[in-house]
Amino acid sequence: MYSEAAMQDSSEPTRRTMLGALGVLGVAAMGGGLAAPRHAAAQPLGLQETGEEALRRVFGGRPMRDGAGAIKFEIPAIAENGALVQTSVTVESPMTPATYVKHVWIVADKNRIPVVFRATLTPEAGRAFVGATIRLGETGDVRAIAEQSDGTLLAVTREVKVTVGGCGG
Amino acid sequence: MGDVGKIRIRLPSSIKAGDIVQARTLVIHPMERVERDAQGKLIQRNYSYIHTVIVTYLGKTIVTFETTQAVSENPFFSFSFRATDPGQLKIQFLDTTGGKYEGVVDIKFS
Repeated sequence: MYSEAAMQDSSEPTRRTMLGALGVLGVAAMGGGLAAPRHAAAQPLGLQETGEEALRRVFGGRPMRDGAGAIKFEIPAIAENGALVQTSVTVESPMTPATYVKHVWIVADKNRIPVVFRATLTPEAGRAFVGATIRLGETGDVRAIAEQSDGTLLAVTREVKVTVGGCGG
Repeated sequence: MGDVGKIRIRLPSSIKAGDIVQARTLVIHPMERVERDAQGKLIQRNYSYIHTVIVTYLGKTIVTFETTQAVSENPFFSFSFRATDPGQLKIQFLDTTGGKYEGVVDIKFS
């Protein structure tokens, strides 16, 4: 209705009225999901959901192999401060254009926003190594999931005890 | 808060051609977490947090991180890259308020 009103002023939609209409649509879209990232990502990451829902949404039930032999997931077993937890993930894998690690996810099952990050790697990285300081809301499983360039998913899970939660909300 | 967007990049003290280098970067950013009112309802507003980190070396993307509010305040990110030639390593941080912060370091061989 906004765009109709705008179009009555001039016989054809000018750039400005079109932009205005787009703006209204944008605002309407934003009202929808609160935690959804504002940038137009094909796959929204930070949603409020359970760990199970997040895994189903992101990986759609694709089989996951045990990555214990391939993934080195460094995370403290006891996190005294959930607001700042050091993590790093190293995947033993060649990093050549033919075979490399494409994505690394960290998913904290008990967080209100379980998907912590998704890293996208290229063969130029030389080694499949990523790390970040993350937040953990409460004691629970944290998963490191690696996707290789052929689509194979590898996962390792660690239980982390959180003394003081760090997600507040 | 004046420091938001300040970036530090840490590299090994000496890098040789062909090395796989591990780097660590810090950005000063509040990474606002979701707030709830007394009834436990989410407060709807545009929270300021970093949603994307892009690492480029010699103009080529090495690693990108897509991040959520589950990443800590003033976050560190680590990654590795193969140091093939001297040149620029650039890290960009994008946040939900439209902020774009950039840190650059020159890779030199010793």
